Amino acid sequence: MTARHLGPTDRSLEDVLAATWLTYPLPVETRSRLAALGRLATVSAGDVLMREGEPNDSLAIVLDGRVALRMRVPERGQVTILTVEPGDVVGWSAVVPPYRATSTAVALVGGELAVFDGPMLRVAFEREPELAAEVYPLVLSAVARRLEGTRLQLLDLFTQRWTEPW
Amino acid sequence: MAGVVHRPRLGVVKFASCDGCQLTLLDLEDQLLDVAERFEIVEFAEATSRRSKGPFDILLVEGSISTPEQAEEIVRLRREATLLVTIGACATAGGIQALRNLADHDAFRRAVYPRPGLIESLPRSTPVSEYVAVDAELYGCPISGAQLLELLTALTVGRRPQLPDEAVCLECKRRGAVCVLVAGAQSCLGPVTRTGCGALCPVFGRGCYGCFGPREAANSESLAAWFAGDGASDKEIRGLFAQFNVNAPAFRRIVEAGRDGEGSVR
Amino acid sequence: MVAGAWFLPRAELDRLVQSLRAGGREVIAPTVGEGAIVLSGVETADELPHGWGVEVAPGRATLVKRAAERVFDQPPGPTSWKRWTFPPRVDQIEWIGANGERLPQPVAAQPKPMAFLGVRACEIAALAVQDRVLAAGPVVDADYVARRKDNLIVAVECAVAGETCFCSTMGTGPEVTGGFDVALSELDDGFLIRVGSTAGSALVDGLGLAPVSDVQQAAARRAMAALRDQLGPPPPTDGLPERLVAAVDSPRWAEIAQRCLACANCTLVCPTCFCTSVGQRSELDGQGATSERRWDSCFTLDFARVAGGNFRTRVEDRYRQWLTHKFGTWWSQFGTSGCVGCGRCITWCPVGIDVRAEIMAVAGLPAPEAVPPVAPVVSVASAASVESVALAPGERVMPWASARVVSKTSETADVVTLRLATDDPGLLAGQPGQFVMAALPALAAPPVSVSRFHPDGLELTVRAAGAATRAICNLERGATVGLRGPVGRGWPVDLAEGRDVLIVTGGIGLAPLRPLIDELLRRRDRSARLHLAYGARTPGDRLYKAELDRLAAGGEIEISQTVDRAGPEWLGRVGVVTQVIDRAFCSCDRTIAFICGPERMMEATVKVLHERGVPDERVFATLERHMDCGVGLCGHCQLGRFFVCKDGPVFSLAELGPAFGREGL
Repeated sequence: MTARHLGPTDRSLEDVLAATWLTYPLPVETRSRLAALGRLATVSAGDVLMREGEPNDSLAIVLDGRVALRMRVPERGQVTILTVEPGDVVGWSAVVPPYRATSTAVALVGGELAVFDGPMLRVAFEREPELAAEVYPLVLSAVARRLEGTRLQLLDLFTQRWTEPW
Repeated sequence: MAGVVHRPRLGVVKFASCDGCQLTLLDLEDQLLDVAERFEIVEFAEATSRRSKGPFDILLVEGSISTPEQAEEIVRLRREATLLVTIGACATAGGIQALRNLADHDAFRRAVYPRPGLIESLPRSTPVSEYVAVDAELYGCPISGAQLLELLTALTVGRRPQLPDEAVCLECKRRGAVCVLVAGAQSCLGPVTRTGCGALCPVFGRGCYGCFGPREAANSESLAAWFAGDGASDKEIRGLFAQFNVNAPAFRRIVEAGRDGEGSVR
Repeated sequence: MVAGAWFLPRAELDRLVQSLRAGGREVIAPTVGEGAIVLSGVETADELPHGWGVEVAPGRATLVKRAAERVFDQPPGPTSWKRWTFPPRVDQIEWIGANGERLPQPVAAQPKPMAFLGVRACEIAALAVQDRVLAAGPVVDADYVARRKDNLIVAVECAVAGETCFCSTMGTGPEVTGGFDVALSELDDGFLIRVGSTAGSALVDGLGLAPVSDVQQAAARRAMAALRDQLGPPPPTDGLPERLVAAVDSPRWAEIAQRCLACANCTLVCPTCFCTSVGQRSELDGQGATSERRWDSCFTLDFARVAGGNFRTRVEDRYRQWLTHKFGTWWSQFGTSGCVGCGRCITWCPVGIDVRAEIMAVAGLPAPEAVPPVAPVVSVASAASVESVALAPGERVMPWASARVVSKTSETADVVTLRLATDDPGLLAGQPGQFVMAALPALAAPPVSVSRFHPDGLELTVRAAGAATRAICNLERGATVGLRGPVGRGWPVDLAEGRDVLIVTGGIGLAPLRPLIDELLRRRDRSARLHLAYGARTPGDRLYKAELDRLAAGGEIEISQTVDRAGPEWLGRVGVVTQVIDRAFCSCDRTIAFICGPERMMEATVKVLHERGVPDERVFATLERHMDCGVGLCGHCQLGRFFVCKDGPVFSLAELGPAFGREGL
């Protein structure tokens, strides 16, 4: 993932983590610890955060804006299969083997992210089991929510089943 | 095809069959004239010497696929037809000639013909749908003229053809016919057979033969068990289902159960 | 009214028949048919079944000749009086006029006045039940009302019961206590005659009969007592309706389905079943188009079919629907049981399924000693049957009106919005959430949501999902279409007062919600927050695209749009619509939700609403079911005790309860 590093801002990363739905349930100490491992960053419309199939080093939480997740379908081009809205995670593959992006992430509009370095996070989790025990469930629940949504999308409930010639 | 102004090209072709279904179209009499006006009949050997190998907007196919030549021809015809409609028990289920599917076809050939090698015949008589995709089916032995007209009307008017998949019993009861099964203790296949004939046989006091084939959710096993409870032998029960639609799965199941002496139709 | 009872000697029975025929009445009575007693028109008493009896058992009916020349000693045969009051095939609508300008005209029934001779106690109850179903609702069946007028009912009190009779269990007999003009009790040498109405009394007066003697009265009482003995004590049926409705998951349904042929015989011999379907007849080119109502059954596959699916495909679901409706939900719908205990369904089932055993098996009742007997099913004497169904022609009939296409918008590849003009006051007075049945000559008439109301017309948003809807979508400016309605219960707009309104919908589901949004915006100051979450398959599949963008920019309503997938040009949200609201940081304690979409999508939405604390009383959904009439008469749209067309299509989740989202109901 590539993102421009932002200098000191009005908000601290800790305050931000207290206000997003993904991380606000965490205990204060965990949020501080996490904040220390991350940084705020801005993105511009069109910035590619990670590419499908390539190694992914960053886990990010979208704070503002919208990130499209796209998959390549040769006869159809790039298809957007999900957009990540503020509060949701993009790049969970950074903490799940084989640490490769499962889709291409593109910022649709200018926005702001909280970015965490994948390898650093993994090392921290190994050294601090309590941190891992707090954070992995959050990542899992975000992915589970995504899976639930994907299943409803898969059911293609709005489609027309029309097979007769009349 | 809703609102078509041009006359659709209509063809009627035949494979292994008795011709009775085509005859139903001719039997429409006055309405046949309406059909001939609305459609351009380009191939219908029984009615006109005008021939065509295609293309067809609508192709009515009678007869089951019984020879290697027919198997090739149906594939060719499928390419030529926009709408392919199978008509009759032979084309939709394999016909009564499908009885050979349950026996040794080769043995028949050798027993009947002095030079069996001259007879090119597939071991099974099968419905057209086993070879090509079929767009619509008209059941019956023969088909119902009214249902054929309804199909053609639906195509010209643009409505869904009203060919209900319901038991003969509904038609018997609408007509006020007394149930020959309950009151006459006859073996009637009506409850598991599709309506279309207008409950013809029960109205004349005779049990249904199953001409229009099994309807959806046909519970042949339950009906067979009832006949058995009434004293019918396994052989008699199998005989009831081994008729014009013997090859339709819901009927074939009963015929094949216990054929080898294991198990019974009960 | 003349009180007391008279005696008609056996040899003079024909005087009664001729008296009934006076004034051009057709007399319908039992006769001997092919192996059964069938109801038919008769001209003399000779045609009655003198000396005939029928031995019945589950799946069996055998005519037997008896020594005594008694006339009425048979249980009910396969035909019922329904054949004359609610015939198997009836023309309903004819399309009159020239091409392109054809309008739907109702076909008026002109029945001959009829006398029914030989109506048993259970059958009187059946007539009363059908009166409630077809002639007592907000919309009545005009044909039935016309045929029931002026029926003369000559009842007969049974002296023998068949093995399958269970009128005493259902509280409808065996005594004939009311609902007749004249009642006969057969004695060995003649008939004891009672009078039950002014018409009956005039008839009996004309016969000039002697009063019945004490000996004869005693004989009649003895015969009834003997019949009561023969029937035996009725088994307890306390709480049966509730128990049946609660037994939705009983394993017994699957067991019955192994025997049941789904042949529909039970429903077609039943004197109270009323489900019908509408078929179309026309010539090859569409001329002479007529729509016809015919007997149908919840056992047929197509009964619960909708575009893109079918709610009841398994035989066990269809059987459960029938039994639970007949003995259970009929009570909620009509205040009476649907079953009168005539036993026909048991006798005429080709495989002898006995509903008495089945309801006991499914409903699992306690032992006989513990439970008091059930109250009578229908208060026959007070039922609107004899001095009959007194509605004026055209009263409580929902007529067809016509509307003209003014303009047309293509919303998506297969969805069109038609702007129609009409001056029919009924159509113009519609409410958000109501719908219309839309008809074109020679085509089926589907239900269509009204997607906007105007002072001079309305808008319909239609998806080309079948032949009929495609034809509606293909209408051009100036074309006419037949409309019936508006029907149904709409959105409870008043409940939105002072609340945060959340509307969650997808695809074409936005259509029935648009009038609601129109109304909420008209009274914007009365609600707090307005939020629409709208999902679609792809950006191109959204309805009212320009309007949505305009509304969103206007600021009065918050609009979140999302799609299932998109190409690179779409900068909006991609994902399921439920995820628009599931993590939102806001309080839902004064939220009211209105939802519409495929049932699975609505279920997912309801799950999220529950998580956010919105109670079922404040969640309203609009449902879709197969509809052939739109006015609660054809029976197709039933969901448990509800008729989706008239009790809905808008329901609160609280009233739907476990019926919502349940497969196979």
